[in-house]
Amino acid sequence: MNKKIYQLILVCLSLCLPSLLMAENVETIIAKHIEAHGGLKKWNQVETMKITGRFTAFSIEKEYMAWKTRSGQYYADFQLGQHRVIEAFDGKKGWTIDPWQEISYARRINSGEENVFAQKAEFTSPFFNYKEKGHQVEFIGKEKLERLDVFVLKLTRSNGKIEKWYLDANTYLEYKCESKWVDFASEMPSETFFDDFRTVDGLVMPFFIERTFWQRDRVIQIEDVEINPGFDQNWLIMPKREEIKKLAFMQGNWNVKIEAFTRRGTWRPMGQTRSVIDFSDTNILQEKIKLEPDLPRNMTINYTYNEAKGKYRISILDDLSSTFEVFEGDFSDQDFIFDNSVEKEETYTQFSISDRMANSFILMKKVSHDQGKTWQQNSRFTYTRCE
Amino acid sequence: MKKRTIYSCLLAFVLMLQSPITFAQTSEDWTQFRGAARSGISTESIADSQMSDPAPELIWKKKIGCAFSEITTSGDKLYTMLSEKTDSLSGWEYMAAFDAQTGKEIWRNKVDSIFIDKDGFGDGPRSTPLIGENTIFSFSSYGKLTAHAKTDGKQLWQVDFMKEFGSKLPRWGFSSSPVQVDGILIMEAGGTESRAFVAFDQNTGKLLWAKGKGNASYCSPLVAEIDGQTQIIFANQKTLSSYNSKGETLWTYAMKMNAPTAMPTLVDANKIFISTVRSSGFEIVEVKNNMLSEVLQAPTMKNDYSSTIYYKGHFYGFNVAALQCISAETGEKKWTKRGFGKGSLILVGDKLLVLSDKGQLIQIKADPTAYSEQRRFQAIEGKSWTAPSFVKGKLYLRNQTEMACYKFN
Repeated sequence: MNKKIYQLILVCLSLCLPSLLMAENVETIIAKHIEAHGGLKKWNQVETMKITGRFTAFSIEKEYMAWKTRSGQYYADFQLGQHRVIEAFDGKKGWTIDPWQEISYARRINSGEENVFAQKAEFTSPFFNYKEKGHQVEFIGKEKLERLDVFVLKLTRSNGKIEKWYLDANTYLEYKCESKWVDFASEMPSETFFDDFRTVDGLVMPFFIERTFWQRDRVIQIEDVEINPGFDQNWLIMPKREEIKKLAFMQGNWNVKIEAFTRRGTWRPMGQTRSVIDFSDTNILQEKIKLEPDLPRNMTINYTYNEAKGKYRISILDDLSSTFEVFEGDFSDQDFIFDNSVEKEETYTQFSISDRMANSFILMKKVSHDQGKTWQQNSRFTYTRCE
Repeated sequence: MKKRTIYSCLLAFVLMLQSPITFAQTSEDWTQFRGAARSGISTESIADSQMSDPAPELIWKKKIGCAFSEITTSGDKLYTMLSEKTDSLSGWEYMAAFDAQTGKEIWRNKVDSIFIDKDGFGDGPRSTPLIGENTIFSFSSYGKLTAHAKTDGKQLWQVDFMKEFGSKLPRWGFSSSPVQVDGILIMEAGGTESRAFVAFDQNTGKLLWAKGKGNASYCSPLVAEIDGQTQIIFANQKTLSSYNSKGETLWTYAMKMNAPTAMPTLVDANKIFISTVRSSGFEIVEVKNNMLSEVLQAPTMKNDYSSTIYYKGHFYGFNVAALQCISAETGEKKWTKRGFGKGSLILVGDKLLVLSDKGQLIQIKADPTAYSEQRRFQAIEGKSWTAPSFVKGKLYLRNQTEMACYKFN
């Protein structure tokens, strides 16, 4: 009986042994990898990092600057071909201004881009404190890659994305990485090669990083690494679109006095209501206002900007009638004027925002029955900021 | 004694006979895209060099208007295309001739309005002119094929592809380079109504035949002597097709890739290598009695716009942005060298001359056993996407802003 138990234990041990050895190998390899990079002690003293260098895209070499933090925040400002690109990431979510996508203002990044920004946010290798970061690592084996002996590690990031890392078996430094990247926000496989390792304050880093994905070739040549510089948290705040920012004076909670223009040429009070105006996105200012000319109705007004036309576009949704009107307009001196002539209705409606003060402004409604040749005043909305 | 004299004489005679073959360099002009044989190969040779050797002698360097056209040569003149802006939105594309000795411009002829690339990759002509005996043929970015008098560049005739064939302007402009076979000028036109490939009387510009379906691509046709007949081979969209100079379709083949930009490469007289960066790799097909069969498909070479060189059983080319040598038989990677970006290359004798995408010229021994760099110098400044040309011991290269001549031998 005892013999059988021993045999069973032996079988179990022999079955477990390879995986135990494998686990040991992963740890050994990563320990040596971190040591080759200057050691965990030194890296644990790094809170922030600023990288300055040259970025090559489309064979054009331009400036590159990136800031990273230990907690996985990242901000970069670089030139990609003829366009300046900004990237920001708080460790989970991020935004970018990338004119290559024909969007000149900040937009939120998608999940594929979040994975890419997480990769960009690493100081250098993802294996530092990988367990704390929630990553998993598996040793695949030792193989030849371009005549080089390499250890192959499979990294499963905390977001579930899988990467394959090839570490030089002699130096334990990274040689190649296969990971998911994005091109025009679409996910695709990439290959990254690391070279020209240099020491900065005892930290070893690749100063030449070349990445190919699809037909793209991108090169970062680092020129300077600054350890523990300042990192302004304001960099991570997604900026508003410039054109919409001009309407920021409308943002807030408002008391609205409503008046109608009488035939006698006077303003007759029609009551009071409340309005809430806020940025629903970086490029949309949204107003929610309740009106009760007869039956109660909620109006949702979206202020956006149409780049192709170079004009503001305003949509007004009336929840009672389910009507949806589109207006176009722009600033005229200090006033902001928009009308629905774009809809080619029989009667044109025009709104103008004027008399702007810190805590008030006036929205005037006019109508035209001759395609905008002449306008008659219709109603007046006086907005006063709520205390 | 007498025998010895006879042997000595015989030996001297044999050496005399051999010397022109062994030491003289056959030189032919670089008369079209990728050289006389459209292979990217010069029949001349270059001496081995040491990394410590100084850069080859710079004969001249000068500014040139933006274009991607290669420099073609004939006699003592160079021919290429260029462009010049008159303001930020307009300008002209030109066909121009230069003195090979000095780089001095001899003449230029306006061929079309300038193509301005909104992505900022580069304005002006894409196609490389073809040098005939008395005539030069240029192709503008807006699809105008022009015949010029070789002496002064004067326009002899012009065909507007968009007007004549309903060709659609490709996003980055018309790019294919003309070929001449049996005295007939052949082009990819990308026209409507089965006018993808067209042939002209080179003297008059009269249309001789039009064949095939497909839009204008960025790929230039290959000319090959296969099974005893001259074939003009087009890789357009997903179809590889072959025609003779009479316009008869010899064969068509459905490629396992779409829209290659790099020109197909002829391998061992009857095989064709095709590759594109937006695919799973390359494909080699064998042509036998106008029947095609796939010989090899492998992921180890993905050409973007730079064409691959075939030399002694191996391919040398850019796999996306890595210079690579692979076996033509198995596709096995022999070596890889990074750091040249999306460069271009030609072969001179047994040396590869690689122009990096930032204007560095690297001389490498075409050796599958190892990457063996022999020389490296900054040849021109700035983004360089045009392959060099090599004639009579001199290297001619250009990019979007300058061109230069270096003496190698």
